[in-house]
Amino acid sequence: MRHNALLLTKKLIIFLAGLLALSMAVFCVSRMAPGDALISYYGERAEKMSPDERSAAEARLGLDRPLHVQYVRWLSGAARGDFGISFMYKTDVLSLIRSRLGNTLILGGSGFALIFFLAPLLGILCTRLEGRWPDRLICRLGAVSGCIPEFWLSLLLIALFSVTLRLLPGSGAYCVGKSGELADRLEHLVLPLTVVVLSHLWYYTYLVRSRLLGEVRQDYVLLAKSKGLTPRRILFRHCLRNIMPSYLSLMAISIPHILGGTYIVESVFSYPGLGTLSYESARYKDYNLLMLLCVLSGASVMLCSSLAQAVSRRIDPRMRDGTPVSGEARNDG
Amino acid sequence: MAEILLDVRGLTHRYAMTSSRSVTALDGVSFQIRHGEIFGLVGQSGSGKSTAARCIMNLLRPTGGDLHYKGVDLLDPKQRRENRRMLQTTRQLIFQDSASSLNPRMTLADIITEPMVINSVKPPRGSMRAEAEFQAAKVGLSPSCLDRRPPELSGGQRQRAAIARALCMEPELLIADEPVASLDVSVQAQILNLFRHFQTEHGFSLLFIAHDLSAVHWLCDRVGVLFHGLLVESAPTTELFENPLHPCTRALLSSVPLPDPRRERQRRLERFDTDTLPAAETLREVSPEHFVLKED
Amino acid sequence: MTADKFVPAAPRPICDAPPPVPPRRHGLFLPAALLGIIVLGCLCCELFIPRDPTYMDLRFCNVPPCRDFPFGTDSMGRDIFSMIWYGGRVSLLIGFAAAAVSTLAAVVLGSLAGLAPPQPETLLLRANEIVMSVPNLLLVVLIQSVLGKPRAMGIALVLGLTGWMSMARVVRTEVRQLRQSEFVLASQCMGGGFFHVLRRHLAPNFLPSITYMAVMNVRAAIAAESTLSFMGLGLPPEVISWGSMLSLAESALTGHQWWIILIPGFFLLVTLLCLTALGNAAHGGVSRRHSNL
Repeated sequence: MRHNALLLTKKLIIFLAGLLALSMAVFCVSRMAPGDALISYYGERAEKMSPDERSAAEARLGLDRPLHVQYVRWLSGAARGDFGISFMYKTDVLSLIRSRLGNTLILGGSGFALIFFLAPLLGILCTRLEGRWPDRLICRLGAVSGCIPEFWLSLLLIALFSVTLRLLPGSGAYCVGKSGELADRLEHLVLPLTVVVLSHLWYYTYLVRSRLLGEVRQDYVLLAKSKGLTPRRILFRHCLRNIMPSYLSLMAISIPHILGGTYIVESVFSYPGLGTLSYESARYKDYNLLMLLCVLSGASVMLCSSLAQAVSRRIDPRMRDGTPVSGEARNDG
Repeated sequence: MAEILLDVRGLTHRYAMTSSRSVTALDGVSFQIRHGEIFGLVGQSGSGKSTAARCIMNLLRPTGGDLHYKGVDLLDPKQRRENRRMLQTTRQLIFQDSASSLNPRMTLADIITEPMVINSVKPPRGSMRAEAEFQAAKVGLSPSCLDRRPPELSGGQRQRAAIARALCMEPELLIADEPVASLDVSVQAQILNLFRHFQTEHGFSLLFIAHDLSAVHWLCDRVGVLFHGLLVESAPTTELFENPLHPCTRALLSSVPLPDPRRERQRRLERFDTDTLPAAETLREVSPEHFVLKED
Repeated sequence: MTADKFVPAAPRPICDAPPPVPPRRHGLFLPAALLGIIVLGCLCCELFIPRDPTYMDLRFCNVPPCRDFPFGTDSMGRDIFSMIWYGGRVSLLIGFAAAAVSTLAAVVLGSLAGLAPPQPETLLLRANEIVMSVPNLLLVVLIQSVLGKPRAMGIALVLGLTGWMSMARVVRTEVRQLRQSEFVLASQCMGGGFFHVLRRHLAPNFLPSITYMAVMNVRAAIAAESTLSFMGLGLPPEVISWGSMLSLAESALTGHQWWIILIPGFFLLVTLLCLTALGNAAHGGVSRRHSNL
């Protein structure tokens, strides 16, 4: 028990140190980059300010201090739960993020869930029918859909379904004044969700398929077959079980990737989520917003990779004493 | 009596598992190998045989003990550097699993001549290719194999290639780490014959590691028995097989199946329990060259 | 094929590294030929394009494909047929340059991490994890704002600098696996130095996966360039590339000018597909052993 507590403390310290390093790096890079932060606050007006007005405005926003002083101030604020205000939206950063988080979670979460269940199913189907036409078809389709840039796929879908056929809405998360209606939200979700799923599903399906194909070439499958087990039983009870640890830990690592990787989709569909928010914040140097978004995404990545380790340690007894797994299996960007 | 080529004294190795746990694979093992001698090292799996081989080849750094080869202290980096070339050319190792010890992407010809390329030895038979053909013929590989890659060959063919690779440098000490364990019996016999033949021809010393006692009985001059990292008995082969003294050795010997079915039916397995091994023991010489681990 | 005839008698066929079965070559002709045509066409586009791709002829805005303009014109009155070949040059250049940068970084850092003792290795991994945790898009925007005005080489550099992390991890794993394999040990026993082991043993064994990943990096960089330009973060519409041509797509959506969206996207997609096919061929297919199921 004591050992566990020690381990947990160690992990916590590593986690916090990682966050600290991340926030410091983002802080330095974003402030050293050329460009004017005042524009995000004052808009066009910032360019016409006199030098006196400028320095007064900078002092008001705390931008005139040396870099390390600014950082310490941000850090002490953050420790108290005060992450500052957004220059662009002129509201509290935290509440701004909270208002957008739900939308992103709906899109990313449902996308993740779909991928999570569809990938093994398709992978199993491919393995079961290896080399026959459904397998070849899925592989071909997957290769094509994995190649299409997300924004272009989005454009095509919008052009087809909302501009030409006028079946589905092509932008936003809900119609004005209908934010509470489920049907309306679902309608708005269909197209972005399709893009998210299509652009990620292939990778995970292919991973499951290649792992399973390796697995069914093992000798234990022959043994199971000679015992008289049906192929389906072998596949589900033995092969699938063997690849589950790596699949689950990969999926755990991918949570932030899929959840947060919806920027492009969000911005094409003008979907009000965190993706559009972070894109804007980086573009217009909304420092406080940018910091919080980076720290949040960093935290979720680190948490999920710990989760992945925990999951594989729980399922795979070999991992308990050996070296921990990390995201090696993931090899595309 | 020939002079000592390899002198192992009190060799100890611990594998660190985590920062707090470690496994002792070798615990104060001592033996000597003389010039032109075949020394067998036997023991169950996990008794530390391969660890010993790897320590002698400097692939592992032993936790304790002394290793001397031709008067060179193998644990002293300075001496090792000074005699680097001598050590590289006169010590050779043959691995147990020829499938993984030969690079799957090289042709056999390249594999066999690799040590000569590394040590930039001028091939005595003109070209590297001629040298590879000569060595391959010596171990009984047809020249047509030379352009193939290891995965295309059988286990026996691969092991022959590994032997050819080790022999092309004409070593003085050859360490064979279970060279026949992964082969089937008829091929095992061929490979053992090969070892014997080359040993009489070249006169090198051989450290033969095995868990198969009949192979050791047939091939070796002296045998050491390892048990859980301890050298429990070492003696000339005939002496050991006729007069095993340590219970562990007796248990090991009783496990050898006999070819005669009538005698095989009467064979009784002797059991040996780890718990019966007393804690404090030293190696004592009971008769000339016969050492046994005994209680103080 | 000889591999089918000589089934090895050993318990397990070689290591877990890519199987030594030669990759399947059939079906490779089409992607190679298509890619060849596209690359060649982009390189020597001056020879056959009918109009100056940068010339904005405001008399012919948004003309659908016809005899004069085989692919139509965009909203600035430029000839899309000429732009495709001319802009492809920039897109391909960015793709290859970015892949070169990221592959180099990944191989060097990945090998270092694979060869390093455990402590520095953990540190490297942690650092990698932290960098990876920042969304790529943010990284790109940040680096780009440091570099200043968007130019093709700047974008290539940005994409290269943000694309090496996952590849470095794969290189590290491969190096570590190979480093522990017995044939490397055997070579070291024989006295093979670091460079001998690298040249004769490590490189031939991890080159296939490196090639695969390098090709995939080209693919990713081309796709990323088009995405960035589309979002207005990459090349401006005046600098012609497939991505910047697509940045006009959103306004084309409402005007039903399908050719502005479809044609550059189609070229982009074909290039990406061909690259994928070639990359998969370099990687080698699944082992040819029969399924036991």
